[in-house]
Amino acid sequence: MEVMFNNDSMDKELAYWLALAHLPKVRIKKKNEIIVKLFEEQKTIIDFFHSDKNDWVSNYDIDDNEMFIFEKAINELSNYSFMVEDLLEQGYSIIPITSPDYSPILKKNLGRTFAPPLIYTKGNKNILKESSIAIVGSRKADEISLEFTDNVAKKASKEYKVVVSGFAKGVDKQALDSALKYKGQSIIVLPQGISTFKSGFKKYYKQIIEGDILVLSTFFPKAHWSVQFAMARNPIIYGLVNEIYVAESSSKGGTWSGVVDGLRKGRNIYVRKPNVIEKNANNLLIQKGAIPVNLEGNKLSYEQIETLNSIVSEPDLNTEEEKIIEFLKKGVYTSKRIVDTLKINWTSRKVTSFLKHQKDVIIVKGKPMKFAHKDRTIHAQKTLFG
Amino acid sequence: MNRHQAEIELRKIFGFEKFYDEQWDTIDLLFKGEKVLLIEKTGFGKSLCFQFPATQFEGLTIIFSPLIALMRDQVNGLVKKGINAKFINSEQTAEENSQTIQDAKDAKLKILYIAPERQENQEWIQATRDMNLSMIVIDEAHTISVWGHDFRPAFRRIVNLIKLLPEKMPVLATTATATKRVQIDVEKQISSQITTLRGQLVRDNFNLYVINVNSEDEKLIWLAENINKLSGTGLIYTGTRVNTEIYSRWFEYLNINTTEYNAGLDGETRKDIELGLMANKWKAVVSTNALGMGIDKSDIRFIIHTQIPASPIHYYQEIGRAGRDGKPTNIILFYNSTRDDKGIEEDYKLPKAFIDGGRPSLKKYNKVINAVKGEQLGERQIMKATNLKQTQVRVIKADLIEQGIIKEVIYGGSKKYEYQFDAPELNTKAFEELRQLKLSELASMIEYVNLSTSRMQFLCKYLGDDVPEIIENCDNTNLEEFKSNPQYNTITQLKEFRENYFPELQVESRGSNIVNGISASYYGVSNVGIALHRSKYKKGGDFPDFLLKLTLKAYRKKYGQEHFDMIVYVPPTESGDLVKNFAEKLSRVLKVPISHNLIKTEETKPQKVFQNGFLKKDNVSGKFGYRNIEEIRGKSVILFDDIFDSGATIKEIGRMLTNNGASKIAPLIIARTVGGDV
Repeated sequence: MEVMFNNDSMDKELAYWLALAHLPKVRIKKKNEIIVKLFEEQKTIIDFFHSDKNDWVSNYDIDDNEMFIFEKAINELSNYSFMVEDLLEQGYSIIPITSPDYSPILKKNLGRTFAPPLIYTKGNKNILKESSIAIVGSRKADEISLEFTDNVAKKASKEYKVVVSGFAKGVDKQALDSALKYKGQSIIVLPQGISTFKSGFKKYYKQIIEGDILVLSTFFPKAHWSVQFAMARNPIIYGLVNEIYVAESSSKGGTWSGVVDGLRKGRNIYVRKPNVIEKNANNLLIQKGAIPVNLEGNKLSYEQIETLNSIVSEPDLNTEEEKIIEFLKKGVYTSKRIVDTLKINWTSRKVTSFLKHQKDVIIVKGKPMKFAHKDRTIHAQKTLFG
Repeated sequence: MNRHQAEIELRKIFGFEKFYDEQWDTIDLLFKGEKVLLIEKTGFGKSLCFQFPATQFEGLTIIFSPLIALMRDQVNGLVKKGINAKFINSEQTAEENSQTIQDAKDAKLKILYIAPERQENQEWIQATRDMNLSMIVIDEAHTISVWGHDFRPAFRRIVNLIKLLPEKMPVLATTATATKRVQIDVEKQISSQITTLRGQLVRDNFNLYVINVNSEDEKLIWLAENINKLSGTGLIYTGTRVNTEIYSRWFEYLNINTTEYNAGLDGETRKDIELGLMANKWKAVVSTNALGMGIDKSDIRFIIHTQIPASPIHYYQEIGRAGRDGKPTNIILFYNSTRDDKGIEEDYKLPKAFIDGGRPSLKKYNKVINAVKGEQLGERQIMKATNLKQTQVRVIKADLIEQGIIKEVIYGGSKKYEYQFDAPELNTKAFEELRQLKLSELASMIEYVNLSTSRMQFLCKYLGDDVPEIIENCDNTNLEEFKSNPQYNTITQLKEFRENYFPELQVESRGSNIVNGISASYYGVSNVGIALHRSKYKKGGDFPDFLLKLTLKAYRKKYGQEHFDMIVYVPPTESGDLVKNFAEKLSRVLKVPISHNLIKTEETKPQKVFQNGFLKKDNVSGKFGYRNIEEIRGKSVILFDDIFDSGATIKEIGRMLTNNGASKIAPLIIARTVGGDV
């Protein structure tokens, strides 16, 4: 999908692109299929919007429900023109998937099913063409994970690789801070619309105008942060990079499902080999095929892995605790139910006392008291690559 | 809709029988969703070309217009015909504008007039998402071209918008004054698929005159002797705001019924004057060229320019507002061709100075660029960081935005300027090109003055119009010349006027007991400035006695026999005891005791160092005190200083004395500068 445009004719299409990208209730796949079809027929998005209704049905496979939505979009085109003018005037870039500026990595990784038809950016667009990595992990990462993140960001910056992050706490923030510290380049993928990032544009003003940071969003420009956007942003981060480094993953949640999905798609995923005392699912990911790396982010030799594994396979002293936490991720239970189901050698009281002090466990008030795990309360993430 | 059907509707809604062919051609194209540039002279009926289709479209028509007066007039006219029309501009309150926006969103309007600057307003941009738009109109479209005579940076955004509009969205651009070059530029900017319709621009009901004079005084005298002989009512355009005041006071002095109008007046006053003009309340309105554009008055019988405009296009545009009813109309231009020591003609200087001062120096551009490179800044912050005048900062900002070096970004409610990654180098070649164009346009204006052939023919040719072979309507063809021939009586009157005319100082503000003061003269307009300068900066000794006489005269004129308890003076920064000595003389003559207790609590820098009002205000803010507060409580005082510029010092002292209990503070100044910033 590579076509050359001059700026003016591309700009003329932008209102149409916004209308298409922000169509409600139409899947990305459908939108991209229309774009592919237009490309094959050497037509523009303008031709599509102004083409005959019959043509929509016969040529682009648009059903009755969609027809209604598209017709509404036509009436909103001039409204989108006002919005586009305002965004361009304020220095934001609007990049359709057919633009030569669009990230080729994103297009390749996410494909027509998931690649966003339109991205909004501010800053140095050329960064989108560079080789890039993401470092992923928990918002509440351990010291060692942050150290790993710092090391990997340093290494990437030295190799002129771009560090992509999601502007969350923990590993995300460390990845960005470290990339900047080592004079590398960064992409910040926003969980919100591009024009609502006021404090960030102020904080990173220097780096943006010097070309070291690109801010990117796929959402409606005025949209504010939300949990859904935060979840939907993760696949964009994974999609934007050539390599994924995992600092720390539990066996549930965004990082886990993203990585597992990536492995299935054959992506380059590097996981920090954890110490024996660490309680995370990094080893599990390695078992599933991720490439283990040391604290510096370098691949481990076969021997090193063997040595580490032999230590790892020693009996884990905290089995009962882990079992309880794992079990809680499946549902909301009383202490008694936990003891009965897991058949552990604990009293219900001991379980209650233990769970009350776990930061990831939520107490559900009532008689008898129940417990839930935080991971359960966030909706499971959609798969990344189909 | 065909022409026949349209004319039925036309009769119903507007009460006109038929369209002109050119009008229908335009309307027909718009109905087909085309983009049109319409160049027709004032009075042709351009408005109908968008008003009529607007009533036929399903949704809203937005008209971007730089002319507030026109918006009001046209909206009033439309509402009378039962068409739902409103406008949004700075003349209305924020609430009124918000209500209009709401009405547009609720589909209660057919026509909405809006100032181009509004495109920078987020409330507006947000609201456009919810409007059902049918057509966009750009009125006075020559203002979108830098090659046009009245380029407005705010229109740049409208042009960008037009380029982004969907196909089949009708767009109409109209103007009465476009050279071929401007026409081509406008076409290029709006769309490659634009149709241009150009009419004849000749105005044969005009009587064109140029009056050669040898001094500024001769202009004042000729007007005094002749203005009441001209038939009907009209406009007198003076080159500067200060001149509207001086000419207006002169007519007042002679009991000639005129009033003054300039952009410095508040919206309410301007509106009143526009209404008064419509009702022929005065023989003439003395104005800067801010007045008259777009005013729907068909019987302006004369337009007199006391200074030459910047180009023949400016001139055609400005005189075009007169005589729209087709009846004979007098168009008079003064030109003072006296040469100074360097051989430059006096009246060449002002427009030349506008060209020279039109763009700040390169150094100033770099100052702004460097400041914005350092951090996001608002306009005031740029002014503070660079010590540049607001007007200069605005020119520089507009150029830098135009060239893509900085952008204006809106966060929440505030505008910030941001340097752009991969910003191009400042392109000064474009500035120089434009400067050369303006110089050659000015040369053409001088050519008009010195012309010996048909003046109308010259103007039409200049505008790229197809010119009829013979146009006879000027002092070079069929009309008798007007000559300057001052009478002794009028010369004496003018001398008396000069000695009795004192500029007022507008300093009254809420929460302060200061009243509007008086100044003995303008700094630049008389010998007063020269005398002050010699004493202050050339070690010329005390201010000369003629200044004392003049100042006392100003004092009596303003304050009469009013009683004051005390006279205080502004403590000096660099001119030693000059002000103090002068104040002591005033005190002796007026028999008002002098006090030396008004002091500086902190050193200030000379105000003239600072280029803008914000820095001037900062420089003096909280820097004055009073040594003996008991002395001032409940007292009315004269506050004396030598020069009045932005007024920041006088206002600051006024506030301080008010806070210390003074009941009235009356400013008295020797000279007021011309064109103080902010």
